[in-house]
Amino acid sequence: MKARLAPYLYVLPALAMLALWNYYPLVFLVDLSFHKLDASSPVPAWVGLANYRALLADPLFWRVLGNTAVYTFVTVPVSIALGLALAVALNQRLLVGGLLRTVFYTPVVLPTVAAATVALWIFNTNYGLANYLLELIGQPPVAWLTDSGRALWTIIAIGVWKTFGYFMLVYLAALQALPQAVLEAARLDGARPWDRFWSITWPLLRPTTWFATVIALILSFQSFDFINIMTQGGPSNSTNLLVFYIYQHGFQYFQLGFAAASAVAMFGLAYGLTAVISTWFNR
Amino acid sequence: MKLPPLRRIALFFALLALAALVAMPMYWLVVSAFKTSDEIFTPTPRWLPAGLDWHNFVEAWQSAAFGRYFINSIAVTLAILLLQLATSSLAAFALARRRFACRGIILFAVIGALIIPIQVTFLANFITLQHFGWLDSYPALVAPFAASAFGTFLLRQAFLAVPEALEDAARLDGCTGLAFLWHFLLPLSRPTVLAFTLVALVAHWNDYFWPLIVTNRDAIRTLPIGLAMFVTQEVTTDWNLLMAATLFVAAPMLVVFFFTQRYFIRSHMHAGLKR
Repeated sequence: MKARLAPYLYVLPALAMLALWNYYPLVFLVDLSFHKLDASSPVPAWVGLANYRALLADPLFWRVLGNTAVYTFVTVPVSIALGLALAVALNQRLLVGGLLRTVFYTPVVLPTVAAATVALWIFNTNYGLANYLLELIGQPPVAWLTDSGRALWTIIAIGVWKTFGYFMLVYLAALQALPQAVLEAARLDGARPWDRFWSITWPLLRPTTWFATVIALILSFQSFDFINIMTQGGPSNSTNLLVFYIYQHGFQYFQLGFAAASAVAMFGLAYGLTAVISTWFNR
Repeated sequence: MKLPPLRRIALFFALLALAALVAMPMYWLVVSAFKTSDEIFTPTPRWLPAGLDWHNFVEAWQSAAFGRYFINSIAVTLAILLLQLATSSLAAFALARRRFACRGIILFAVIGALIIPIQVTFLANFITLQHFGWLDSYPALVAPFAASAFGTFLLRQAFLAVPEALEDAARLDGCTGLAFLWHFLLPLSRPTVLAFTLVALVAHWNDYFWPLIVTNRDAIRTLPIGLAMFVTQEVTTDWNLLMAATLFVAAPMLVVFFFTQRYFIRSHMHAGLKR
């Protein structure tokens, strides 16, 4: 009897915690999204779909959605492609390859707050290193973070810099686990390196690319730290991304019902996209 | 896959150039932290400081409650790690080595939790903690991370690799259940345990989002929050001080990473197993 019960007791703590802090909140969020809960209504009042209607009617929501789409569709492919290219290059066992790998991965372990602070300094309009480097090649200075047409691209660049090393390591691990016999056979058959990569390595890496894409998507939807520290969503909401939008409504305007509806929308979008991509990869 | 020598050399220099670009912000962080205020605001940035000005670190340290933040970060990160290791290894033990009804569903539920990040659940968890009366306290910083789907998954993979025969032999010697987990499974899975511990250590030491949501007073703030407040409230823009503070916040994890790299690489090995 004791032996039959034991496994359940072992999984209980982990399962209870995941249920309370990961699964229950999803149910709670959906429920909250049908209620009005803010300063004017401190006790949740049922309002049906009103929060969702307000969300869809908010022009800022569409702006934020557009920003998030640009951020996601640029950072995901760029960081994955960069990670893959570097993994393939480092897999050549070049001189000081280990050192290069360390350099490329270091931004990943840097706290986002630290990265954001350094970025604020480097992209400072008057004394920043970035504008000095531009000056060296004869270009005029740029308002990296205060020009509404450019700020999102600066944030994108920092986002890529912070994450591509992760994908490099994922691909390096995958490359080292590839069946060497197949690669060797192709080499003996005289296939050129470029052809060998596209016809053998790349298809074999497909599961890794799927994994990397899903992780990159979820990471990009989570982006918040750089926005909150560097731009506060500005200038004129040009860097306002979904999590920041939800955070603002929840913790600055205290419209918790509305914020919950936005969070549900984000969850639906992120996982809808993940499902579509997974179906495509596993077709 | 081996390239011809000339292309290898070209590739090598291209990588070197990219590495210089990637390392530039970190180099600039370190250099700026050692500069005097006069050296910071120069029309032509200086690539090297005139001397090593340790004074910045002392002044930055004293400008905010960094000592307190440090202690809080250590306490919170340690508590999270211990809890995650305990809950993950117990669950992984059952999921890898025991047969019981609903095991498949439970495993699926654990893996599913991997893709529910705190950025989705924070509103609900905030309200839950408010009901518990835990806001603005250590439990609020720790409790939501008491279990780890990633850790459970990673340890399960490691435990699966330990041969069944070993468990039978241990059982004959009277070493069963939790004793087997403690004396055999965990020591035999040391590289995976270390890999998970390090990845979790970095993630929670660096975490900015959750502490921002639940802390409201200096006594329980962690380093990332303290640094962010120091940066956003610092109206004088003494970049040398800000960089010094940034450096002592980032340094512990950088040091850990430089000495334990191979375990970080190991933590990625399982990505390939998810086919």
